[in-house]
Amino acid sequence: MKPPRAQSKPDVPPNGRPSKHAKKNGNGAARFYGIPMPGVRTEDLSGSLIVVEGTDGSGRSTQISLLTEWLESEGFAVQTMGLRRSFLVGEDIDALLAENAVTRMTLALMYGTDFFDQLERRILPALRSGLIVLADRYIFTLIARAAVRGIGRDYLHGIYEIALRPNLTFWLNVRPEVAFDREFKKSQTISYWESGRDMSLSNDLFQSFIRYQSMIKREFEYLSKRHGFIELDGEGSVSEVNRVLRRRIASHLGIRSTHYKPSHALAHLWR
Amino acid sequence: MAITTPDILSVPQPAPQKTAATKREYPGALVVVEGIDGSGKSTQLYLLKRWLEISGYRIHFTEWNSSPLVKSATRRGKQRRLLTPTTFSMLHAADFADRCERQILPLLHGGYLVLADRYIYTAFARDAARGCSPHWLRNLYSFAPVPDITFYFRAPLEVAVNRIVAGRLKLKYYEAGMDLGISLDRAESFRIFQERILSNYDQMVETDHFVLMDGTVRVNKLQKLMRQLLGERIDLKQFAPKKK
Repeated sequence: MKPPRAQSKPDVPPNGRPSKHAKKNGNGAARFYGIPMPGVRTEDLSGSLIVVEGTDGSGRSTQISLLTEWLESEGFAVQTMGLRRSFLVGEDIDALLAENAVTRMTLALMYGTDFFDQLERRILPALRSGLIVLADRYIFTLIARAAVRGIGRDYLHGIYEIALRPNLTFWLNVRPEVAFDREFKKSQTISYWESGRDMSLSNDLFQSFIRYQSMIKREFEYLSKRHGFIELDGEGSVSEVNRVLRRRIASHLGIRSTHYKPSHALAHLWR
Repeated sequence: MAITTPDILSVPQPAPQKTAATKREYPGALVVVEGIDGSGKSTQLYLLKRWLEISGYRIHFTEWNSSPLVKSATRRGKQRRLLTPTTFSMLHAADFADRCERQILPLLHGGYLVLADRYIYTAFARDAARGCSPHWLRNLYSFAPVPDITFYFRAPLEVAVNRIVAGRLKLKYYEAGMDLGISLDRAESFRIFQERILSNYDQMVETDHFVLMDGTVRVNKLQKLMRQLLGERIDLKQFAPKKK
């Protein structure tokens, strides 16, 4: 299939710098990349959207569990989101992934549907209520995965230009080799999609995983520049990475970065 | 920005997209019918299809919103009224992508005459009537191959609406645009929604090179004209059955 391209340059400026468009639309729209999605109220988004991105094995989910506990102990209500969690199509995507009939564009658009459903039904209502939304991945993973499969970056940015711009985007950067060790330890094998086996990169699972994750990493390097990610060394210890995350989030929320030690329930994550 | 190829990539990078004006990269041809509900387009495409298949031509017929992979999601979304303008549009795009990648494009490359009952212009007209940005929609569907001919069936709003309302026990929720809150009366909501769609279609006649068909003309007369116009635009011989 031909690579889709945006008809004209989508209006997706880097984080923190509202586009001309957003300014024109007043404060209500300032947190969207471009024209907000139709039919949503864009005012009163008093909460914060904090995104944690990173490849499989980068420690994202661990950090989100810890951050949730820390924020709740500080008195902030937290809502989480992640891929394939929408009520609308989350399970449909699981079913698509289980068989090999689905093609790259269909999958990319189903993930997009899943994302927008969560944005409208979960994220925006939470932000209106002043909650902190912790996103375990966001549009950036969706863009990176589709881009390495040859779908145009501008096409993808064009789809997500109606999305909400995060207040903070962290990127837990790890080398593919480290990610492999962690993922293998977790499940004693490497999954079909994590190793990009649909792309016929190598018959050897390790090689396939490394090459695929290297491609994803390159896309993230590009996205990091374009959107102003806060890049963290995901290979550091859990407690060290968590300390940096808390410091940046505390500064964003205007609170003092307090001492935190995980509860008994989460102590096993603290390495 | 153009796709830059990182040196470690060994996946084939796709060629730049051809515009409508450039020569197509496949031997097949794509015939599309568009128009509001009740404009007569499906009847006419059905007759065209029958004519071609009875004569043994290499054809494939595809309908809007019919991909088996995406069907369950769309059905649930509609039944439980979960869809917003954006997710409605995204799901239909996913459905189209599935048919495009697994049917339309392989068949065009395989030298088939592909007949499509509704195409991307349905999304442009209908989703824009729901409030989606036309610019966003154009980008969303920019991967679609450009049709060789697009027949646009146009009937006056009242004629089209009466055809649908008369033959239907109940208009469906999204079909009638009830999600837009235009009117609590389904028939009234349907009429206003169709009016908006009709106006969006009319705006594409020139930009997207629609062939205008008068939906009030007698069925057999209109079919005769459709076959003639098709023959003028597409060399049908290449799809004819091979002689032994």
